[in-house]
Amino acid sequence: MQTTDENFVCLTACGCVTPLGDAGATLDALLRGACALRPVPVLGREGGDAVPLALLGGRALDETAPPSWLGAVKTLLAPVAAAGWGRARRPVFVTSSNFGVGCLYAYRRSGDTAFLAYGALPACIAWLRRELGWGESVTVFSHACVSAHLGLLQASRMLRAGLADEALVFSFDFLSPFVTGGFHALKILNDGFPAPYEARATGSIGLGDGAAFAVLTRDRGDFAIAAQSLHNESYHFTANRPDGAGFAACLSPLAAFASGRRLWIKGHGTGTLEAGRLEAEMCARVFPGAPLVGWKGSLGHTLGSCGLVELALAAEALRSGRTPGTVGSVAPAFTETVAFESFANAAYDGVVCASNAFGGAHAAFLLSHA
Amino acid sequence: MLERFIQYVMTDDPGAETPAATRERLKSRFAPGSTRRMTLLGMLVGNVLGDLQLTEDDAVVYVSAFGEGRALEDYLASFPSASPTLFQTSIHPSGVQQGLIGRQRSVRELFPHAGGGQLAVSGLVTALLAPGSRTVVVGGEERGTWLVDVNAVSDRTFAYALALTRDPGAETLGRLTLANEPVAGALAHAAWFELLQRREAFDGPVAEGWRLKVVWF
Repeated sequence: MQTTDENFVCLTACGCVTPLGDAGATLDALLRGACALRPVPVLGREGGDAVPLALLGGRALDETAPPSWLGAVKTLLAPVAAAGWGRARRPVFVTSSNFGVGCLYAYRRSGDTAFLAYGALPACIAWLRRELGWGESVTVFSHACVSAHLGLLQASRMLRAGLADEALVFSFDFLSPFVTGGFHALKILNDGFPAPYEARATGSIGLGDGAAFAVLTRDRGDFAIAAQSLHNESYHFTANRPDGAGFAACLSPLAAFASGRRLWIKGHGTGTLEAGRLEAEMCARVFPGAPLVGWKGSLGHTLGSCGLVELALAAEALRSGRTPGTVGSVAPAFTETVAFESFANAAYDGVVCASNAFGGAHAAFLLSHA
Repeated sequence: MLERFIQYVMTDDPGAETPAATRERLKSRFAPGSTRRMTLLGMLVGNVLGDLQLTEDDAVVYVSAFGEGRALEDYLASFPSASPTLFQTSIHPSGVQQGLIGRQRSVRELFPHAGGGQLAVSGLVTALLAPGSRTVVVGGEERGTWLVDVNAVSDRTFAYALALTRDPGAETLGRLTLANEPVAGALAHAAWFELLQRREAFDGPVAEGWRLKVVWF
């Protein structure tokens, strides 16, 4: 695809890990309509209400020291591990919402100082650098559930400015009682399972473990990120402008850029009602007729990593020619454009991948075959 | 080489001032009643943004290694009845979002940096690569309490903001350049703050591959 966008970059490699497996296995499971969410006590061994969580196989919600997710991260990054990341020309961009903060909850509860090596954000990054063999050129972004998008955009700018030869964007968020307790306190993580974009009486989200990576270059790869967009409403901590203007402000530049192209949309779709309705309506308005899907009804919301996890899945869907539908939801939907069932995507020119976050933060990019 | 002109600088170093005294000193800067749920860092960030009129096209780069240390401590202490308010305010980048939401100012780009050994330099690179005509860099830390002893929150409170533009103006305060060179160095977040506070000239390596030069007019 020809483009004049200043942030055009190629996706040289990508991958993810979810409770359903790697990107290929997760896509297959989504196409089958599988759900990774299970009822789990919200505070782990401390008990509490059972809420829908998707944890990596064999991993408990309670933190361990070292964190039990390290092995999954090392396996995920193994295909690109030998590349000498973290040098000036090969920078790393780490994005997450929670990093290892669950270890501070474990420290508070147990008094075990072993947790302190992973809990504070700088300590967590220093530990990851050692474990993964990265140099010092590591940039860290944390912007809740749009975190991954910021890593992608800044990596793209470094590449386009000629300041890097290739960039590794890594994103992760693994659940702990710290985060599940918080969302439960907000009452959006409850005993209901998420049904993204479904018009129903009560909204519910699920939460999931997730990590992903993308290697970006200026000119190598089967897929391209052709345009990226951000918008921050700054209207309310946990609510969007009621007219949906924030969604439109983020999506409209991509629509203008992609004018004339046939697209499908991978939305944010956590399962909350108001945000889901606004997102579905604005997607239908800005991209008329484009089918909208969301996968958090199966995977749960993987928080700061969701943008990159779902990028890897969208790339896998483009590669396979088939897009999973909105798992976990049934009619009626907020809009007619919501796709519940899987569909062939060969006739489409690309996919818009969108995420939203606390504070009315919005982010989206256009992914297509290179 | 990346270059921007410094149009605005404001810093706040409470030093030995107690958090309660800092809050009292700053509360008149905000709408009546609005500070009750604000964190100390949120108030400091809002204060150093001062009278800057942010526009939709400004990029905002937020820099904080630890973010809301006290909200984090209080949220942890709230278990097993986790506090929803403290959960929200403990999440990065709550500090700058408190400032932006308080002003009801939407911006296209908000890049919140956190942690990491190259925090200050990463923030500057982000700021100097932002495509808009003006970028606001705002940052700071908030001294914690019981997590300070285990290095899990900041041991110092400070905040700063600077506005950078592509072109000089009549009231330009200085010039900031980042050169991509084969050098190695470091610039701690607190050292960057002190450089701004003292309006100190600087020319040296600040990270692997980066040399920073700051000139004040």
